Amino acid sequence: MTLLAALIVIVIVFTMINPIYISIFNISDIIEQSVIYGLMGIGMTFVIITGGIDLSVGSVLALTAVTAAKLSSGGMNVLGVAIISLALSAVLGAANGFMVSCMKLQPFIATMGSMSIFRGIAYIVTEGFPVSGVDSAFRSVFYGKISVGMRTSVMVLLVFAVIAHILLKYTRFGNYVYAIGGNEEATRLSGVKVKSNKIKAYVICGIGSGLAAMILIAKLASGEPTAGNGYELNAIAAACIGGTSMAGGRGTIAGTVIGAILFSALKVGLITSGVDTFWQYVATGVVIIIAAYVEIIQGKLAGKKRK
Amino acid sequence: MPVKNFIEFKHISKEFPGVKALNDINFAIRQGETHAILGENGAGKSTLLNILHGIYQPTEGELLIGGEKVAFSSANDAIKFGIAKVHQEINMVPEMTVAQNIALGNEPRKGGLIDWKKLNQDVAKILDRLHCTIKPTDKTGELSNGEMQILQIAKALYLDSRVLSLDEPTASLSTQETENLFDIIVELKEKGITILYISHRLDEIFRIADRATVMRDGQYIGTYEMEGMTKEKLIYSMVGRDVEMFATRQKPSRADKSTEVLRVEGLNAENHVEDVNFNLYQGEILGFFGLIGAGRTDVMRAVFGADRKRAGKIIVHGKDAEIKTPVGAVKEGIALIPEDRKRQGFNYNLSNGQNMALASLEKFVKGVFVNHKKKLAAAEELLGSVNLRPNDPNFMTANLSGGNQQKVVLGKWLSASGDIMIFDEPTKGIDVGAKAEIYALMEELLEQGKSIIMVSSELTEVMGMSDRMFVMKDGKIAAELSRDEFDEQRILTYALEGNEG
Repeated sequence: MTLLAALIVIVIVFTMINPIYISIFNISDIIEQSVIYGLMGIGMTFVIITGGIDLSVGSVLALTAVTAAKLSSGGMNVLGVAIISLALSAVLGAANGFMVSCMKLQPFIATMGSMSIFRGIAYIVTEGFPVSGVDSAFRSVFYGKISVGMRTSVMVLLVFAVIAHILLKYTRFGNYVYAIGGNEEATRLSGVKVKSNKIKAYVICGIGSGLAAMILIAKLASGEPTAGNGYELNAIAAACIGGTSMAGGRGTIAGTVIGAILFSALKVGLITSGVDTFWQYVATGVVIIIAAYVEIIQGKLAGKKRK
Repeated sequence: MPVKNFIEFKHISKEFPGVKALNDINFAIRQGETHAILGENGAGKSTLLNILHGIYQPTEGELLIGGEKVAFSSANDAIKFGIAKVHQEINMVPEMTVAQNIALGNEPRKGGLIDWKKLNQDVAKILDRLHCTIKPTDKTGELSNGEMQILQIAKALYLDSRVLSLDEPTASLSTQETENLFDIIVELKEKGITILYISHRLDEIFRIADRATVMRDGQYIGTYEMEGMTKEKLIYSMVGRDVEMFATRQKPSRADKSTEVLRVEGLNAENHVEDVNFNLYQGEILGFFGLIGAGRTDVMRAVFGADRKRAGKIIVHGKDAEIKTPVGAVKEGIALIPEDRKRQGFNYNLSNGQNMALASLEKFVKGVFVNHKKKLAAAEELLGSVNLRPNDPNFMTANLSGGNQQKVVLGKWLSASGDIMIFDEPTKGIDVGAKAEIYALMEELLEQGKSIIMVSSELTEVMGMSDRMFVMKDGKIAAELSRDEFDEQRILTYALEGNEG
């Protein structure tokens, strides 16, 4: 609720500063950004709830994007491209999961390494050039116009969010994700297969980035090896603003989606308000810190109430 | 030697929520003596020591040092006062040098910078005094356990400590290292340093202590001159006669010696658990007694698949069981209610209902979806049957009392419907009323056809509840006793001295 209120306040303030903020063009811009951050943030939420982190999401996006663009420009049909590319992003996620749960690497280190590896492969397979010529059928599926200011990409986010929410709240896997993040050892001693459930969380994170890649290449008509550079921070910010605890064990999909919208609304608002680019970085950072602090305060208040 | 009281404990009591850990402790330690403190696990030795070291503050009473009343509010206060502790666990920074560790926080400075030359010289002098071959510039991480212990003593000397306490210092030392430590203790004593020595090993205490104070259940029992003292007399004084009455069986034994539900053969596991053999009969409570570090928990964790087994066979209901992980153990119907509830027993971020269902979530799944309604209803019923208060499946387990948390952990395993339940220190940190409830629940479980292993450090508890008992010492089984052979003195002798005792 605090989140929604914060979002409304942001919208009102920016509109008062510059009414252009609630123009159709501007709102669709906010939505487009939220879709990308939202898809990646949702996957990130699973990983963070298990107590991990995935720094490689931006590189997964790039490698999936160039692969999909190559396949699509080579004449493969939409379904084929989507299935192969998403399978690739799932495998990349599984590789992260394997390193974290089976090789017992620190998630930060493991995914920092894979971030570099995946990005490198994206450059190698493209020799550093964008892959253009994404098929128009593909573009209309992932970035087709539905109505004014509304595109199919929003549907992709909605469907993914709903599935993710159901997975997290209503399946054994989801219950175990929370349990592992809260107390991995107690969960293991309860006879839960901790390793495979952790790998699944990273797979979902990979798929989130894969979906973001589909939308990005549909929008730009090309797949670029530089795509998604630095997006891991946006995905983490969406989850963090949405109330996901970096310590693990806590977080919701709805929170992350709203977090992604709030984050995009803020970024766009700072632009329409004419805030200097450099100051935009400062403002964004401040908001992330405030969000994390609010989370701590709320946790403390809840703790007091229970006593 | 002048008989002068140096440290005086005056009517010291310490209460923790629900537990009175120390009750009116009143005795004195003389200047320059080596004073042993004895007692079973949970007798209050460590709590008393922690008060001396400023880690805890007494609820009542006062502490006098050199005739002067002191009130330490932190461990640092005590250290500044010249009271140092050699820790059971080694707390040194392995990446730093010996000299850096010894001087950590008290480095000599010259013009704002650390005076390395002086530091290394000072430390070299102290190490010389201790006759050890370690150099100030050695890497701490490369030292042996014994050398680390000496390092802690060196640190105490560096800080000009007048009192040094050692809590089970020889637990991880080799024979040679132990001898070396004793030589050092004798020398320190000659230099007028007062030494407090906590150990379960009676031989050591007879060798080095001048006097010994015995504690039991947070009470002061007596202080004895070691000259003319016998082991038997000391053990008798540690055990006492007034056995607590509530840890007793209310119902007749249900043990069926013709049906073996679990058999463990030749188990080798972590922490020198070696060649452990035991069996569990249908409907019995099998006690596992031993002192801390005897390897009881390690045995149970290996049986449950929580730790790796180096060797050994586990037979469940007459069939070889392949238990490599807890997943395998749960499939075989084995449950482990661990000693460390907070870290291993329940999840702090989950509610009672979620914790209850964690080991048996498949029961509440319809298709692929978890039926939360069904889960919560089951939790309310099940946790009601173990008298959980408040019995609210949405209440966070982390906010319950220790006894009620234990009931949630128990509920988790009841829901998983295993028939072999391993309780590791089931009443640790639980108040007396909840203890009685846990005992009653254990007897109810037997009626439901379950069989129980109870690991415990509380002698009265194992004796009161078990049909049969294994005593462990140093990773090995020292004795198997049937209920009619239970005798406090005998059990404690096995636990202290192994099967030669």
